[in-house]
Amino acid sequence: MGMAEEIIVEPNFEKICSDILNSDEQIRFSGFVNDKSKLIHSVQKNNLESLLSEHEIGMSIHYTLERWRKAQNFTFRLGKERLTFTEYDNVTLITVPFKGKLLLVSTEPRIAYDSIIEKINSILINWEN
Amino acid sequence: MENGTISYTQLLREDLGIFRVTPDEKILDFKAGQFLTLGLPFESKMIHRAYSITSSPENKNFFEFVVRWVRRPLPGRFTSLLFNAKEGDKISWAKPAGNLTINDTLPSGEKDTRRIVCIGGGTGLAPFVSFAQHLHATNDKREIVVLHGASYVDELSYKHLLTDLQNESIDKGKDEWNFKYRAAISRPDEWTNRAWGGYKGRIEHFLRSNDSGKSPLEELVGEKITKDNTMFYVCGWQGTIDGTMDYLKTKNFVTEKNKREDGSFEVKFESYG
Repeated sequence: MGMAEEIIVEPNFEKICSDILNSDEQIRFSGFVNDKSKLIHSVQKNNLESLLSEHEIGMSIHYTLERWRKAQNFTFRLGKERLTFTEYDNVTLITVPFKGKLLLVSTEPRIAYDSIIEKINSILINWEN
Repeated sequence: MENGTISYTQLLREDLGIFRVTPDEKILDFKAGQFLTLGLPFESKMIHRAYSITSSPENKNFFEFVVRWVRRPLPGRFTSLLFNAKEGDKISWAKPAGNLTINDTLPSGEKDTRRIVCIGGGTGLAPFVSFAQHLHATNDKREIVVLHGASYVDELSYKHLLTDLQNESIDKGKDEWNFKYRAAISRPDEWTNRAWGGYKGRIEHFLRSNDSGKSPLEELVGEKITKDNTMFYVCGWQGTIDGTMDYLKTKNFVTEKNKREDGSFEVKFESYG
């Protein structure tokens, strides 16, 4: 009798990004970064002017990943990081670690974040297993 | 154990630092490439860890080390103590030891005049910093190539010193001092490395032949690398050692641990993972 072969399904990051972007009017951007700082997929709301230049986006991803890496130094005491918020005057950034990647979401500032988080989680949970 | 003082600390990044230990008594003789066991007190006992010495045996003022602060999965006890230590704090040390030292003679008893190629991954560069300074201080005429691999440019510890040694070689000419230094960055797409214009990839890929049939190392030294003209020294994670040996085995290079019946070998290595 042969061994059952485990089938590992890689999440469809493109679809996840689109689903998240389309889940709420207040979401501006959704993207995934891998641990080498590469933006593996992203989508942005139509007709929106980016707040950062291409150069600044690279810098912003770097800062986000650096913070994420350093936060992992406390995993042994605090458990895994699940979510971060950074609220600026002009935008709010949300990060969610997901399957070794980091989901980046930006929204309009000062909105009802609970419902946004619920929507993001409900999309991610479909790919959790 | 002997006693000493942490006489100098320099953080290169949050988790990488250079430390000097000045002995209370004199520095014991050691060979370039050896390590020292350091001791620090922790909860009423002593913890010990061994680190390769980066300073040269000719330096009789202090031992120097480059150390990475281990943070995951759990913070390293010794490195956490060391990175929390202040200049002036006391530290203990045991006599130098280790076999990753420079071969000066062949099994036949003849002088070993082969080119020296040192491959260091991360803090595995440490013994070769000692090599370079020692060979310089002793006016050694062999060709020396130091290759350093790191993930990020701010991990290129001793870039300044090694670049100066290379520039001196260019100024004086290779008959006087024959030294080359190259570094490779394995994560060139990361923001920190955006201005890196040097070699990209793993350091052992310096040995891999390119489309011209020559490896970057062969292009650097200007001739084919053979077991008769080159002696390799490798230090780093086991992956760096294995990656290097993958290339060298195909050219019939043999490690010291598996030396031939006549005692000959062309590779010495030390792994820390």
